[in-house]
Amino acid sequence: MRRPVPFELHQPRAVATACELKHQLPQKSFFLAGGTDLVIAVKERGLSPDSLIDLKRIPDLAGVAEDTDGSLTIGALTTLAEIESSATIVARYPFLAQAAGEVGSLQIRNRATIGGNIANASPSADTIPSLMALNASLRISDGANQRSSTLEDFLLGPGQTALRDGEILTAVVIPPTDARLRGEFIKLSPRQVMDLAVVGVAVTLVTDERSRVEAAAIALGAVAPTPIRAGAAEGHLLGRVLDDDLAEAAGAIGADECSPIDDVRSSAEYRRVMVRVLIKRALLNAAARAPGPIPWRQRGRKRH
Amino acid sequence: MPDLKYVGQSVTRVDSGGKVSGAAVYGYDLVLPEMLYGKVVFSDRAHARITDIDTRLAESHPGVIAVVTGRDVTYIHGETVQDTPFLAIDKVRFIGEPVAAVAAIDEDTAQAAAALIEVTYEDLPAYLSPIDACQPDSIAIHEDYDSYRKADFVSPGKTPNVLEHFKLHTGDVETGFAESDIVLEETYTVPSISHAAMEPHSAHAQVDSDTGRITIWSPNDAPFRAREELAMALDRPVGDIRFINPLQGGGFGAKGGLKLEPVALALAMHTHGRPVRVKYSREETFRSTLTRHEAVVTIKSGVMSDGTLHARRMEIYWGSGAYNEKSATVCIRGSQFAPGPYRIPNVSVNAYSVYTNKPVSGAFRGYGIPQGTWACEQHTDELATRLAMDPLEFRMKNVFTEGDVSYWGEELEAVGLKECLAKASAALEWAAPRSEGVGRGLACMIKPTKIGTESAAAVTIDSDGNVTVLAGTVEIGQGCNTIQSQIAAEELDVPIERVNYAPLDTDVTPFDSSTTSSRSTYHVGNAVRRAAAELREKLLEYAPVAIGNCDPADLRLHDGLVSLQDNPDRACTLAEIVTRAVGSDGVLRGEGECARNDGIELDLETGQSPRAAAYYMYGAHAVDVEVDKETGIVTLLRMAAAHDVGKAINPLTCAGQIEGGAVMGVGAALYETLVYDEQGNIKNPSFLDYHLVTSADAPDVAAIVVEEPLNHGPWGAKGVGEPPVALGPAAIGNAVANATQTRIRDLPLSPERVYWAINGTPSNGD
Repeated sequence: MRRPVPFELHQPRAVATACELKHQLPQKSFFLAGGTDLVIAVKERGLSPDSLIDLKRIPDLAGVAEDTDGSLTIGALTTLAEIESSATIVARYPFLAQAAGEVGSLQIRNRATIGGNIANASPSADTIPSLMALNASLRISDGANQRSSTLEDFLLGPGQTALRDGEILTAVVIPPTDARLRGEFIKLSPRQVMDLAVVGVAVTLVTDERSRVEAAAIALGAVAPTPIRAGAAEGHLLGRVLDDDLAEAAGAIGADECSPIDDVRSSAEYRRVMVRVLIKRALLNAAARAPGPIPWRQRGRKRH
Repeated sequence: MPDLKYVGQSVTRVDSGGKVSGAAVYGYDLVLPEMLYGKVVFSDRAHARITDIDTRLAESHPGVIAVVTGRDVTYIHGETVQDTPFLAIDKVRFIGEPVAAVAAIDEDTAQAAAALIEVTYEDLPAYLSPIDACQPDSIAIHEDYDSYRKADFVSPGKTPNVLEHFKLHTGDVETGFAESDIVLEETYTVPSISHAAMEPHSAHAQVDSDTGRITIWSPNDAPFRAREELAMALDRPVGDIRFINPLQGGGFGAKGGLKLEPVALALAMHTHGRPVRVKYSREETFRSTLTRHEAVVTIKSGVMSDGTLHARRMEIYWGSGAYNEKSATVCIRGSQFAPGPYRIPNVSVNAYSVYTNKPVSGAFRGYGIPQGTWACEQHTDELATRLAMDPLEFRMKNVFTEGDVSYWGEELEAVGLKECLAKASAALEWAAPRSEGVGRGLACMIKPTKIGTESAAAVTIDSDGNVTVLAGTVEIGQGCNTIQSQIAAEELDVPIERVNYAPLDTDVTPFDSSTTSSRSTYHVGNAVRRAAAELREKLLEYAPVAIGNCDPADLRLHDGLVSLQDNPDRACTLAEIVTRAVGSDGVLRGEGECARNDGIELDLETGQSPRAAAYYMYGAHAVDVEVDKETGIVTLLRMAAAHDVGKAINPLTCAGQIEGGAVMGVGAALYETLVYDEQGNIKNPSFLDYHLVTSADAPDVAAIVVEEPLNHGPWGAKGVGEPPVALGPAAIGNAVANATQTRIRDLPLSPERVYWAINGTPSNGD
């Protein structure tokens, strides 16, 4: 651990100013949101920024808003604690609230933002699989113009994104979803809390009254250079009745779609087996769940 | 026994206020006038010759006051074997070994200057496992081991790098196996783990520029022993060195011996009297201070078909790391009792403590007992399975009881083990059916407290009636200050609020061997009790000067007063006695000591001794676990931990030690392991990747205090600090085996390890 080398701190009040600053400032300038990754990089990983552009003074970049078309816009500076406890998210996408609530400690979640969790582009980022399974898109601004990107296009590799210099991730947009949508997020980690995912699996499902799958999305964390969708497994589900065998088969297909690595937490082989098990469980858990909020007592408990 | 007022009561911790409010100043926080800041350059090679250290740039860096290397400071220290340079001399033996150090006007300058030091190495073969290191063709990590100064009891081995070969033999194991109905042999392993005390390491040192006298401020668990080790290294009298103990934020053994003190002192020898602080970050603490011994334990046992243990042979390899530290004695004590708390007529143990090129292993809460207990107790359940016997019944049939003569030749007293087993198992309704996926396991243990140590204490009272305890035991978070205050209050019958516990300073505090081995309540407790009793006698003797003419034999001391036995109205306060006897500036002082010098050295060939320990502690844990067979995740449902403490001076503190130890053991059971790469570099030196138990993972622990009194302990007390940590892995391992019908012989029981054990090993990718 070391004390940061002195750096300039800028606190712009508008996205356009922030983008302009990023262009004007020397090479080693970084946007600062919650700082829970950046500050560690500075203190423990040898990062020495010349300047930081603090985005937290920019109004309207935080908060959860329901749009009239049923889409949900989450400002990039919304903290994970706010997502974890947002009445709207808890009601509509409780698995996303749960994923946010499984990051680090409460102190971390009070600082860390959803935009930071995405832009930091960790393969094991807890919120991304659930957002992917909701087909969320990202809103990106360069100060003058806005563009939109899918998470898949945005995430290029560990720590790498498609953000161009001077661009800011401003919001995450979850498109309107079927009222029957149910989802599940399972984070596998040896320790119950304060741990990184060995594997994270998020699924969303829409089934008809005979349990036939009309729509399904499966997203996997920590088993590839970025969180990924398991497209083949999803395809296998469509039009079929979701039962134990189908969930098991989807898990087996999904396990072939990932490319995990060995590291200090786990072997690649174990991760692959866990993808199979957790896809199966996530699908069956989601199917067994009524749409709507999860009682808070259940949210803290692992259900796999 | 008369009614006790303070002993046996759950008195509130006397040091709790500052610790709860955050006002407490720990060693790590300490700032001294004119202090300089030290920074260490560490070896990044596991085993290498140093061909050059270029310090020129660092020396000329503005703000740098001193730069030192092993060329400047050539002292060698070591408690049992003198093998450890203050800073590496000519070669390095592990990644994380201090090679050079800088003192500067502030932390940033020291860090910047340290980064300018260039060390050039020539690599040597590195050994990362004790078994690799002791092969006949292994090269010596310490070429000059034979010529090092060593304690008499150290028995080096015949193959390279074996710093200690411990032997224990009784009966005839080969005949024993031939006579047995069932013979089983298995190998169990324990990885190296970290103490992970909440406060990282630090030391402050100052050399008086006038007298050359040395002062060290260090949260060390044994300041008197550290002082002696330092004096031996410097070849100076102990009186030249003063240790002051600031508050210590945990230690678990990692803050005993000399750690950062030599580095801080090496710098302070070159700063013209200015004090130097060296403190380690969490990562440096992981890499450079101390680990618990990894161990490979092979047990072969013979049992009779009725469940009687008949013969046991053990072979143990202890990974000692790069320097001896306490490896010889951890090997001796850990191995001597590794056959477990059982009556076995034929026993043979060969144990080897082996240098490796990993960070130094040393004392860790339990001192070698946890490793042996893991192996022995897994093996015990495996034997019970072969016998088709209930594990509780099998243990009850074989465990030590009062008066047994142990396999090391000692007659045992105050043995509360059966009661521990009975109470821990009853708390979980041992025989009750368990549901699908749930496993139930138990384990039991014996833990010695070392013999041959001494404690002295003084208790004073001033003319205001304030009582002060001076004793050398270190408050490392375990509650000893409270225990000693209770003992003084009880013996003097004064309110505990009037009792102060003096800070520890070797210039004024009476001698104490160490705050280790679960010895403080017994040794220091006896010393404080005797000191308080002597003070009480003095008060009674002087009482007539305050109370008027009377026969001291008629006097009674009670409730802060002395009064006449048959005329309670004739009374005076203790303050009045002190004032009358020695004046308003005076104090009366009582002194006491407890020396256990009645130990008998173990026979070097047979490990036999009729008095091998000051006393023994016993314990048993039982646990229910749920194993998720599809993921390998082990969830603890409930745990019962019963420990024989002799007498609970403070039942709440005892329960705290039991619960805290039990939970710490959960970490060793399920999560904790230092992961090394092929170069010997720790891959997980942070709390992100080195997993301790959080409160969310901790099971509910039923802490059960068993009191089988020891007649020479204070009010019957033994100790309780270490044993509770040893049984978590052992009991949890047995419960996991019970749930899965699969025996795992290696720790930790990580989800991945449990998964492959249940579902077959991975296919290695093809």
